[in-house]
Amino acid sequence: MLTRDRLRLIRRRLVQVAPVIVLATFIVFGLQQLVPGDIAVTLAGDNATDARIAEIRALYGLDRPFLAQYGHWLWGVLHGDLGKSLLSGEVVLDSIFRRFPVSLLIVGCALALSLAIGIPLGILAATRPGSRVDAFVTSIASLGVALPNFWLAMLLVATFALNWTIFPATGAKPLSAGLGPALLHAALPSIALAAGAIAEVARQLRSSLVEVLSSQYVRTLHAKGLSPAAILWRHGLKNVSVNLLTVIGLVFNRLLGATVVIEAVFAIPGIGSMVVHAAIHKDFPVIQGVVLALVLIVIALNLLIDVLYTVFDPRIGQK
Amino acid sequence: MPTFRRRDFLASAAGLALAGPALAQKKGGVLKVSANANPSSLDPATGGSGSDHSYLYPIFDTLIDFEPATLKALPGLAESWSNPDPTTLVLNIRAGVTFHDGTPLDAAAVKFNLDRARSDPRSNIKGDLATVDSVEASGPQQVTLKLKQPDSALLLILSDRAGMMSSPKAVQELGKDYDRKPVGAGPMKFVSWNDNEKVTYARHDRYWKPGQPLLDGLEMNVIPEINTALRAVVAGQNDFVYFLSPQQKPLVERAKNLTAVSGPTLYCVIVFLNFAKPPLDNLKVRQALNYATDRESFAKATMAGLSEVATTVLPKAHWAYDPALADFYRYDPDKAKALLAEAGHKDGLELHLIGYTDQRQQQRQEVLQEMWRKAGVKLRFSTFNIPEGSAAFFSKAEGNGLVSQWTGRPDPSLTFTLLYGKGSYFNAGRQEATPEIAKSLAESRASADIEARKKAFSVLQKQVLEQALSVPLLFQFELDAHNNRVKGFQPNLLGKPRFNGVWLDG
Repeated sequence: MLTRDRLRLIRRRLVQVAPVIVLATFIVFGLQQLVPGDIAVTLAGDNATDARIAEIRALYGLDRPFLAQYGHWLWGVLHGDLGKSLLSGEVVLDSIFRRFPVSLLIVGCALALSLAIGIPLGILAATRPGSRVDAFVTSIASLGVALPNFWLAMLLVATFALNWTIFPATGAKPLSAGLGPALLHAALPSIALAAGAIAEVARQLRSSLVEVLSSQYVRTLHAKGLSPAAILWRHGLKNVSVNLLTVIGLVFNRLLGATVVIEAVFAIPGIGSMVVHAAIHKDFPVIQGVVLALVLIVIALNLLIDVLYTVFDPRIGQK
Repeated sequence: MPTFRRRDFLASAAGLALAGPALAQKKGGVLKVSANANPSSLDPATGGSGSDHSYLYPIFDTLIDFEPATLKALPGLAESWSNPDPTTLVLNIRAGVTFHDGTPLDAAAVKFNLDRARSDPRSNIKGDLATVDSVEASGPQQVTLKLKQPDSALLLILSDRAGMMSSPKAVQELGKDYDRKPVGAGPMKFVSWNDNEKVTYARHDRYWKPGQPLLDGLEMNVIPEINTALRAVVAGQNDFVYFLSPQQKPLVERAKNLTAVSGPTLYCVIVFLNFAKPPLDNLKVRQALNYATDRESFAKATMAGLSEVATTVLPKAHWAYDPALADFYRYDPDKAKALLAEAGHKDGLELHLIGYTDQRQQQRQEVLQEMWRKAGVKLRFSTFNIPEGSAAFFSKAEGNGLVSQWTGRPDPSLTFTLLYGKGSYFNAGRQEATPEIAKSLAESRASADIEARKKAFSVLQKQVLEQALSVPLLFQFELDAHNNRVKGFQPNLLGKPRFNGVWLDG
């Protein structure tokens, strides 16, 4: 599995990780300086004087120059210390380890749903291009992309949690609480999140599969007398799998971003609600920690996809 | 479905004694609450947000307690108190009370807490105890406070953050970490706090009040989005939700398993004015604004009827309220115009106000804009989030006014001193209003006798109204909803729910 080419690919990617992390966190840190707002005002409480606010600023080191603050943070990261929330004093690493699994469960379920539904729909449409089935799938897919997911989320809650109390309306349970309760809580948010992704997967798969199925070599295969099913499964899908991997990567990143809204609707204690709260109050250790974790996840996923590319298409990576 | 008003509550509380076994209190169960914001800290001395109190009350008993409906002082951890002279307050601390970690709550512990609140660099409540000169343990269970000047407001200040007693041992051992590991002497022990998720509590078995607490535990689930917070209760994930918006009342009434609780609070929607800066340094302009305000319509438009119209900053139920002042500024746009003309603004004037960005606040700003336009006052708004907007107006003296709210203080002296006192943070111009008001402010704190204080407050409120130092609009009603299993909840005038005495039925 891990051939020399793949190891080289992985090594090359790992070298890129450090600069990407520094760049991403530095940009986010810089953006926070540009946005108006001052966490010291929030920390100083309801009726703070200017003197008190200045005192707080000194107490938390917020009066130091921009680069010194960033450097201090980065130095901590190199020593495995992401710091503590300025607002509440919670250890950032603890929050990340508690909250990321919650979000990843929902995103994972949504991704699984979008593949389980999107792929069959895409195949159905691609094998009958121009038919009524195709038109139906295409219009459903357009609808799925156009629907705002928070609106869908509220419809789902009203119907399946408040009207028929099948699913809980709010909250999340970790996998450690048992697969059943965890999935029950994740069901509605995942469906709301998946709607757009299902459409995305179906549309992308359809268009690339249509292209492959109308290519010269497929015509040759037909002429050879191979059954349409064999052509589709053995030749067609194999050739679109690289495209599909790209779509999965993009969809995953999008889902990770979309949880911000979904978590607010379902009161899910994941990264979305964490980063929103932190961003509003400019709680920079928390924002930086989340950005760092997100960058790592995205890099890891992209690396995995790159390695998989070489599995599905051996030409990639052989330079 | 049934809607509870405070009046009904008092009636049913009176009935409770007669009803006997039918309403027998039950032990056990964990109350799950939808709470609106992550606490700023669970250390009463270092926190700074008004929404922390509901998280703090279960952990911390206060030296002085208060009557929920009127905010009169009641014995708390201090079972009695006296003023041997106007600048001395003696507190007799209840014997036999221990903190959750077993540390005895004695005079030394109280002195430790009060000194810490006055001097710790991280304390946000130094100002609350500014009139305290020294704190002495004058006996094993007796503490004597020497004051710089007479201050009868101090008693109720000790029912707030400053009166919440922390275990000295825990504070000393934990240092900064005490923010997240509080140890008090209240009915519930702190168990855990996950940021923006939940705070959990367990029963304190050796609580000093016999038979209390009835609950085994409490879970405060942080859900900032109020519609989601209510849904969690409708669907049964949580039992109780507070700080609902008036627009949600029909939703609560439609849900058969829910009871709505509402009652007036000190929470006053108000336009703060910078009366040191032109054009609002002119009394006639300030009076014109008050006459140009149709409070009834404002309340109807923005609060769906769930509010009480405000002329002064104390609601009807408050002990220091003076009914004679209720109609001081009756809506009269013509009079407003005339006053503006007298002040030299015959063709109207433009004011620059600061406001906040959220939807409810924007609506208030729009209604106000339209209302004052009729009297010839044009409003231009700059909007910010709450801490930024408040800082712009109060510390940087930007704008002529701020459309905001006054969340109230346990003692009315504090409210008036903070709002209208010379140099106070909430007095954006920092200027003395009038010498008479300064004198009345001092007088309102001078006597410990409640009748004498009532009279002092009538005089003070009238002077503030005559000077039109701000434009109070309305008192927001507290709107809470809980499922029908929740019993014994009593709303309070502070509008910060306390779950003491609550039990779960069935």
